[in-house]
Amino acid sequence: MEILRSDNITMQFGGLTAVKDFNLTLNKGEIVALIGPNGAGKTTAFNMITGVYKPTNGKIYYKGSEITHMAPYQITKLGIARTFQNIRLFKDLSVLENVLIANHLHIKSNVFEALLRLPKYKNEDRKMMRKSLELLEIVGLADEKHEKSSSLPYGKQRRLEIARALATSPELLLLDEPAAGMNPTESEDLTKFIRQIRDDFNLTIFMIEHHMQVVMGISERIYVFDYGITIAHGSPKEIQNNQRVIEAYLGVDENA
Amino acid sequence: MKKRDYYLTAISLILLIGFIFYADNNMDAYMVRILNLCAIYTILGLSMNLINGFTGLFSLGHAGFMSVGAYVTAILTLSVNAKVQNFFLKPIAAPLSNVVWPFFPALLLGGALTALVGFLIGAPALRLKGDYLAIATLGFAEIIRVIFTNTQTITNGALGLKGIPAYTNLWWSFGIAIFTIVTMILLINSSYGRAFKAIREDEIAAESMGIDLFKHKVLSFTIGAFFAGIGGGLLGNLLGTIDPLMFRFTLTFNILLIIVLGGIGSITGTVISAFVVTIAQEALRFLDQSINLGFVVIPGVAGMRMVVFSILLMLVVLFYRHGLMGTNEFSWDKFLNVISMKKPLLKGGRK
Ligand SMILES: Nc1ncnc2c1ncn2[C@@H]1O[C@H](COP(=O)(O)OP(=O)(O)OP(=O)(O)O)[C@@H](O)[C@H]1O
Ligand SMILES: [Mg+2]
Repeated sequence: MEILRSDNITMQFGGLTAVKDFNLTLNKGEIVALIGPNGAGKTTAFNMITGVYKPTNGKIYYKGSEITHMAPYQITKLGIARTFQNIRLFKDLSVLENVLIANHLHIKSNVFEALLRLPKYKNEDRKMMRKSLELLEIVGLADEKHEKSSSLPYGKQRRLEIARALATSPELLLLDEPAAGMNPTESEDLTKFIRQIRDDFNLTIFMIEHHMQVVMGISERIYVFDYGITIAHGSPKEIQNNQRVIEAYLGVDENA
Repeated sequence: MKKRDYYLTAISLILLIGFIFYADNNMDAYMVRILNLCAIYTILGLSMNLINGFTGLFSLGHAGFMSVGAYVTAILTLSVNAKVQNFFLKPIAAPLSNVVWPFFPALLLGGALTALVGFLIGAPALRLKGDYLAIATLGFAEIIRVIFTNTQTITNGALGLKGIPAYTNLWWSFGIAIFTIVTMILLINSSYGRAFKAIREDEIAAESMGIDLFKHKVLSFTIGAFFAGIGGGLLGNLLGTIDPLMFRFTLTFNILLIIVLGGIGSITGTVISAFVVTIAQEALRFLDQSINLGFVVIPGVAGMRMVVFSILLMLVVLFYRHGLMGTNEFSWDKFLNVISMKKPLLKGGRK
């Protein structure tokens, strides 16, 4: 079953076309990767899907309804969550607060009910707390819950970002280079972890990744970008043997 | 909260009430006035800190908000006679001439109307970011002042209002200051308060976590405006006279000074700083007068105090940006540790 589809989405920055005619289909429960050399437009594609950028052209549908012109917070409310390539935690706040904040979008109590600590709010607050602690447990950050998030080592910050994204109760999770800066063992753990959360939370995962080991090991399908153009799309095997992909990665001059 | 902390808080409150009782009966009018100002500046500082410190919005419209609260409360509480005396150029507009309200409802309406003004200003202005927001709010505050200068039959224009009943006493000012502190603590530690802080930390991440930036900014702005209006109302009915010139940018600057010195994003810091700055401004009054050093007489320069405070502000911003408290808050644990000079507990209360 299709969960997300984009029709020819294009993003231009002045004269630069960062992404051109990207047609993406994600099916429920899949793990799909987006790869490509630096500056190929991968993060830009994420930013279009999550509403950070409005595509210059094309349309995006989530579960059948159009989300192209929605604000990022609306898109997140519908069930698409993300992490950032260059980690964007709430730096001065604690690990726990970071995750709690991501629960706020579903709050039903208004500000007065919250101020007066009415039972309705207290109940919601208790649930948020329980859920956040559970998530921290899952990503292995329970012991650091009162630490300032910026004081965590890099790898843990990445996991905190995932926990925070999960706290919004997404159905589709976009991960922008989750294995960046990790050594082979850590990437191995991450691969397992991503599969595990996909199963435990019934997620569909769309990820940008440079570590080929991770990409090939985990994805069911792969899209390849080069200069904003989708040069290939297929199973890991097909991609590995695709001539254009090899050229793009090895930087072979096409005219040679 | 631990049981011990409940007791300690209750005891402190009783001590404070005892102190107010004592001050109310025994201190001279000058001292009482300074204490009133301390409490009022606490309210004003907290309301500005909610907007600027906790939500990270660079707003400079506080004097405008205060003027709305001050005028509404003053006009509603002025006696019929005082109104006739004040409005000698042009009589006050019809329904207002006979309206005389008790202090508390007048204050509440002052706060509510200020909140409404905050909402109306916030709705367009909060689409702007950073410096642009600062400029827009500054402009709005100035517009409010110009409007008040020209609505002769409502505000008495540039003549201002005199003979405002001196309803503000220590019970009102400290009572409302405590109410404001409690409200801020409850707000900041709620899910909404966390959302405000998220916006301050990183707007893009906050929005990606599903937080409606605009809605929450307007919310924070409106609540802040409400308390600024209440503070303005208390101030008007303390001083007894108000006029549009009182609500120039200098007033906003004073409050900004308090929150920066106290620590942007700290309730405790704002409270301490409101008292320190208010008292210091009185104590340093001699700077505005001529100083005789025996061998040389430095002639008085009006505004010298402000120069000193401005330099202080610059030094804090340059070298000690966290102010007194940073984003830390008071807790009995920390307090008891400090006074017993024990080693501080590790985070999470572990030894
Ligand atoms: N807001 C923007 N304004 C102008 N140009 C932009 C903007 N965002 C991205 N670009 C440009 O679009 C192109 C694609 O950038 P993007 O960040 O999407 O690449 P990427 O595939 O994620 O690369 P990397 O692997 O380095 O993260 C780059 O040339 C970049 O400079
Ligand atoms: Mg990128």
